[in-house]
Amino acid sequence: MLAIDPTSRGFGFAILEGPEILIDWGVKQTRVRKNPRCLKQVQELIERYEPEMIVVEDCAAKGSRRCLRVRNLIQSIRVLAANRRIRTRCFSRLRVRQVFSEQDARTKHEIATAIARQLPELRPHLPSFRKPWMSEDERMAIFDAMAFALTYYRLADLRQTTPSAQGLPLTIHAT
Amino acid sequence: MTLRKLPNYLRRYRKRARLSQDELAFLLGSSSGAKVSRYERFKRIPALETALACEAIFGVPARELFAGIFQKVERSTTRRARLLARRLSARQAQPLMAEKLSRLRRFLPS
Repeated sequence: MLAIDPTSRGFGFAILEGPEILIDWGVKQTRVRKNPRCLKQVQELIERYEPEMIVVEDCAAKGSRRCLRVRNLIQSIRVLAANRRIRTRCFSRLRVRQVFSEQDARTKHEIATAIARQLPELRPHLPSFRKPWMSEDERMAIFDAMAFALTYYRLADLRQTTPSAQGLPLTIHAT
Repeated sequence: MTLRKLPNYLRRYRKRARLSQDELAFLLGSSSGAKVSRYERFKRIPALETALACEAIFGVPARELFAGIFQKVERSTTRRARLLARRLSARQAQPLMAEKLSRLRRFLPS
């Protein structure tokens, strides 16, 4: 699975083979022609790892504050995936928070800390707590991407174990 | 259905060990990280010595480090073993042949 979280300068990504098997992770940055370059890098990742699924943020969900460029980038990633017959899943920020609230993680930093606890290889990349006057650390995009991926696994797990969870109103859009 | 594995998991283990490509290249006896980069991008298959060096560095069996390559080799070997078993069983029955066949069948997945 490839999880992607676009940022103002590129995107963070994570490649997983299961909720506990992290294969690759990182941040790709670009300063000019952001969307075409990001898309090219996503394409390279797809070619290298041949993921069966791509997980991104649901920008159409209520409360999403993504700018038009990022919305367009996510849409382009979904089109790219559809052209290569790769399934796509989108999760809203709210859904991610709901899933991580089970672990008492509600804020972005708490979610990132919970992820770092689960996957020790990410611990050195965990940014320090952001103060209001600080801009966000670029590495937070890795944890945001991971949060989407883990939300997918958690919901898939819930659907398998709890039959009643099948009726949950999920904000998932599949292509 | 078996999960399709990646040719190698070098990048995963290198990053977990917090080694740079150049550092790993040094440990493997290469002059630069370019070769490691090629292994990680699946553009080049490492030699047996390199594979064993990776096993020693990361403490992970080579069959796990190079899971995709192992899967491929295992598949083709199984195919050849099946073919050999068929050929042997077509020949006249001899005690040695029977032992060979039972060995081969043990190797083949049911």
